[in-house]
Amino acid sequence: MSKSEKKIVLKSLDNEAFEVEKAVALQSQTIWVMCEDKCVGNEIPLENVTGQILAKVIDYCKKHAVVDGDGDESSEELKNWDTEFTKNMDQSTLFNMILAANYLNIKSLLNLTCQAVADKTKTIDEFHTFLNIENNFTPEEEAQICQENLWAFDD
Amino acid sequence: MMKRREDILDSIPLDLSLEIFSRLPSKSIARFRSVSKQWGSMLHRQYFTELFLTRSWARQRLLITLEGNGEFRVFSSPQLQHPYGKSSFVVVSADFHVKFSLPAKTCGLTSGLICFSYNSINKVENALVPVIFNPTTRKYVSLPKLTNSSWYKAFNIFLGFDPIDKQFKVLFMPYPEFGNENRILTLGTGEMSWRKVQCPLSLYPLNKWICINGVLYYLADRMSDGKWPSLMIVCFDVRSEKFKFIEAEECFYATLINYKGKLGGIREIYDNDSNTLELRMWVLEDVEKQEWSKYVYTLQDDEFVDLSFVTVAGVTETGEIVLSMYKSNLVYVIYFNPERSTHQSIGIQGFGDSDYNDVNRHTASVFVDYVEDLNVNDLKYIKSSQDLNIFEE
Repeated sequence: MSKSEKKIVLKSLDNEAFEVEKAVALQSQTIWVMCEDKCVGNEIPLENVTGQILAKVIDYCKKHAVVDGDGDESSEELKNWDTEFTKNMDQSTLFNMILAANYLNIKSLLNLTCQAVADKTKTIDEFHTFLNIENNFTPEEEAQICQENLWAFDD
Repeated sequence: MMKRREDILDSIPLDLSLEIFSRLPSKSIARFRSVSKQWGSMLHRQYFTELFLTRSWARQRLLITLEGNGEFRVFSSPQLQHPYGKSSFVVVSADFHVKFSLPAKTCGLTSGLICFSYNSINKVENALVPVIFNPTTRKYVSLPKLTNSSWYKAFNIFLGFDPIDKQFKVLFMPYPEFGNENRILTLGTGEMSWRKVQCPLSLYPLNKWICINGVLYYLADRMSDGKWPSLMIVCFDVRSEKFKFIEAEECFYATLINYKGKLGGIREIYDNDSNTLELRMWVLEDVEKQEWSKYVYTLQDDEFVDLSFVTVAGVTETGEIVLSMYKSNLVYVIYFNPERSTHQSIGIQGFGDSDYNDVNRHTASVFVDYVEDLNVNDLKYIKSSQDLNIFEE
């Protein structure tokens, strides 16, 4: 296999091109299927992902492709890296990452980003903003639900 | 070229939203159900409660009960997911769940519910009252009194779960000399009452059990010569309410375990000369043929935990053997990986400051694989009713 065959080009929605190792890109089940089917050339257009998000996804895949042995230290190191990776992402970036991980079918990244959003959603107000919805319970109904679930409202 | 936040919110598909919510603590789910009618019903649907349970299994906890000094307290702590041998001794803080100011004794844990019994000192008789308790919602139900009070003199109680009908049942087994009738009760919303259940053998039940896939296993003594223990394993099918018995001479002093879905037992034997702990484990491979496989593991001296005092708490879903001991307000937990033959010890603190020699007055029980289950939290018949003689703080 020549050097160029080991590389693959991913093209974002906004036409940004990323040349990556095939082993890195193939962590995406979606890309893996595309390559298996030979329905694409060396350049894969990803119509649902912006360049900004794709760059982050590639960072993640690079990290996880390099340390894929199951040595004791690396798994610990990888976990810390994952925590740092999502720590400073704002909510809209996280949502975009979830959508990208879902589209590209990268299970571990989907798990990581869903957990990150869950960890940042603690209060009812955060839940409201998350879902962009209004409360349509009557005050009486709401009071009754709270009464039934007092244990959940005690702090 | 990033989408604006509002657009993104609208474009998160429902299944991805549910993926996110399934990773929240069950307490948050209970709160968020009051957010809107649609989401209230969405977060009650079976699809979601099952997804939630699946995710819960990825974040199991150790459940710790502490009894003594007229108190009964419940704590939990995250269970280590990949406890590979690290050289440092980490101390983590336990999460506090509840404190009851009463002299209670832990019976066991089945599918997210604790069973304990307490001495109802206000009554004329020195009767023990069994209570079923959910450590997450802190709701409980105390079981109705049995008419024959002599049964309470010596008995053991077991909590089983039938995963097909999703029913919890409590088995009440008095010692044979106090009556050869056993009782069973199905937890439910109607009036709960004890029914007769016939055990073909007259046995002295021991107090530990484990419930695996709808079968309740416990050890019992035949007292065949009235002196030396002659143990067997009782298998009680929670759904059909039928008893079966397995001969197992070696199970004396063993802790019953769930080894990857199979019944097993582990005995710990400490060798003072070599300072090693031997774990003898056997696993029931075939119930009908009563075929066992046997394993022996050896733990070398641990620099942080005195192995001569540890007992088996259980085996995690992934097959790690968990050992524990309680000393000086600290719960020591050892995760032993039999395949790699490595272990990791940690300490759990946050149980208050008692005397240094507290070990004589408090008993800690550690249970593995505690998971939050919305279906268990939603059980209507488990509610804190004020007429119980239980004082909760």
